Amino acid sequence: MINPFKPEIAVITEVVKETSDTTTYTFRFKEEETRETWGFEAGQFNMITVFGIGEAPISISSGPSDTGFFQHTVRHVGNVTNALAKKKPGDVVGIRGAYGTGWPLHHLYGRNLLIVAGGIGLAPLRPVIREVMGQRDRFKEVEVLYGARTPGDMLFVREFPEWSEYVKLRLAVDMVPSGVKWDHKVGVVTTLFSEMSSQPSNTVVLTCGPEIMMKFVVRGLLHMGFSPDRIYVSMERRMHCGVGKCGRCQIGPRFTCKDGPVFAYEELAALPEEVLGGVGR
Amino acid sequence: MAVTKSSPVPDMVVLSGELWQGFLELVTGQYRVIGPVRRGSEHVFAPIKNPREIDMAYVTTILPPKKVFHQPFQVLFSFDTEEGTLAEAQSGEEKVVWGIHPCDMHAIAILDKVYGVEYPDPYYLRNRENTIIVAKNCTEVGENCFCLSMGTGPALRSGCDLLLTDLGGRYLVEVGTEKGRKLLSGLELVPAPRVVLVEKEKRLSQARQKFKKRMVTQGIQELLEENFRHPIWEELMRECLACGSCTMVCPTCFCYNVVDKIDLDLKTGRRQREWDSCMLLEYAQVALGQNFRRDRDARIKQRMYHKLLYYEPQFGTLGCVGCGRCIGACVKRIDITDVVSRLAESVESDR
Repeated sequence: MINPFKPEIAVITEVVKETSDTTTYTFRFKEEETRETWGFEAGQFNMITVFGIGEAPISISSGPSDTGFFQHTVRHVGNVTNALAKKKPGDVVGIRGAYGTGWPLHHLYGRNLLIVAGGIGLAPLRPVIREVMGQRDRFKEVEVLYGARTPGDMLFVREFPEWSEYVKLRLAVDMVPSGVKWDHKVGVVTTLFSEMSSQPSNTVVLTCGPEIMMKFVVRGLLHMGFSPDRIYVSMERRMHCGVGKCGRCQIGPRFTCKDGPVFAYEELAALPEEVLGGVGR
Repeated sequence: MAVTKSSPVPDMVVLSGELWQGFLELVTGQYRVIGPVRRGSEHVFAPIKNPREIDMAYVTTILPPKKVFHQPFQVLFSFDTEEGTLAEAQSGEEKVVWGIHPCDMHAIAILDKVYGVEYPDPYYLRNRENTIIVAKNCTEVGENCFCLSMGTGPALRSGCDLLLTDLGGRYLVEVGTEKGRKLLSGLELVPAPRVVLVEKEKRLSQARQKFKKRMVTQGIQELLEENFRHPIWEELMRECLACGSCTMVCPTCFCYNVVDKIDLDLKTGRRQREWDSCMLLEYAQVALGQNFRRDRDARIKQRMYHKLLYYEPQFGTLGCVGCGRCIGACVKRIDITDVVSRLAESVESDR
């Protein structure tokens, strides 16, 4: 019997510091067979093991068409992610996955796309941006709104010039420390709504960020006339298995690990338990 | 090769006196048996060395027999922090769990769905496969039992390997599977006449008259969906200590936490899972301290809504089997049947 709890061994091949507390790791499975057969969908996550410390669910931040390697962009805020911060190229971790639902890419072809991300929430959306860059003709207008606390907290900044060739990228930060140059918006990510070019018609919204941010994003977009059945959110919950057994990630009758993390907004709005701060009630 | 000749085991036998004792001795002599034994004023499922330890008259146990299959502590694998994972040794020992009541059998059927579907759980399934289950119909009813309301007792229809019914000093033994039949082989047995089933049904129907507690199940899903913000939840929040006892004794609770236990060499260790509880503060807490169910009422609701509303879409069944353990374990005597009745009454009086 296949043991879904036994991780595959992966080797860290590259470590890139994104911000003061966030790092992007590139991994390669040790087993050749796993390297050849393993794949994932944009928006899915892996359970990453640091042996002796534990396991944590982390979104995959590379594109599904990037083959031979995969990446995770990790904010060092917990036991496992802080232990990961000490890892160098050549070190091994355990990987189980890919788990969960991905962004509904098939539903996006031929449509406009509005991506709204906050902080580390850009990590699970980077695979979508990479898919858009790889097959730009399949999508219509694509706009990315990205907010972070300060300019120094922005992820993937080195890739922004290339992204901008394919998508409309708009940035906002909550605050700018003195002496830092900032040519973009100051304010929460929803302040970008007034200047964005996305219109409700034929547009699908993908959002990921702190739940409080997603609450205001969804509320604002619904108010502007965006269709509730074309809004998708990626949720964070505590997880210990990734396969619907440990129970920790439940939201109402849904397991965030296997029914999510990407949910259609309307699916969450129908639950008795308050999600996204009860937006839509 | 020596051939032992034994007569075929009938589907249904009645055992009493020496034959019953002989059966108990045969089974406890051949298998590792876990059965109901008395501990102070309560009962527990414990390993049986001597058949006299088995207390067939037990009404309930502190922990459900779930602990044999979904163990409180389960090592998933051992690891070497530098090399990665090592294979986990598999335990192949066959055992017998003796005297499981119908409510707990229904709970095991629910756990079979939790652990058997999608990503089948090898640890749980291995424990299930290695275990022969001898169930026992209930002819006595405890003060907190409400399986009759849940349709999970006092009689069991299927799911066990052998089924016992106390006919007063003698036991009806019905064969459920070939695994169960194996337990009886070696005894000189005669088939029981079918008329004995009349006696069995009489005993069970007497048991049905003994229930004092009942759960309002009609319209329960609608009742819960419409009352997520009912004042009763705030009342319960003040009562409940969030100690998690209700979930620790629940036969259908399946949640667990996972921890890495590191050895003193700081190099090798084991990953282990441990029962967990949605009633505890840390259950839904994520990094940076955000907690999706910080308030106690949110946790109380999670337990009750999960059992009575969410199991249905998840596993096609209610998540409560009416064993009553959560009622008995609660130091504040919070009673899930009472909560539902009060909800139903308050809605009724609002009409």
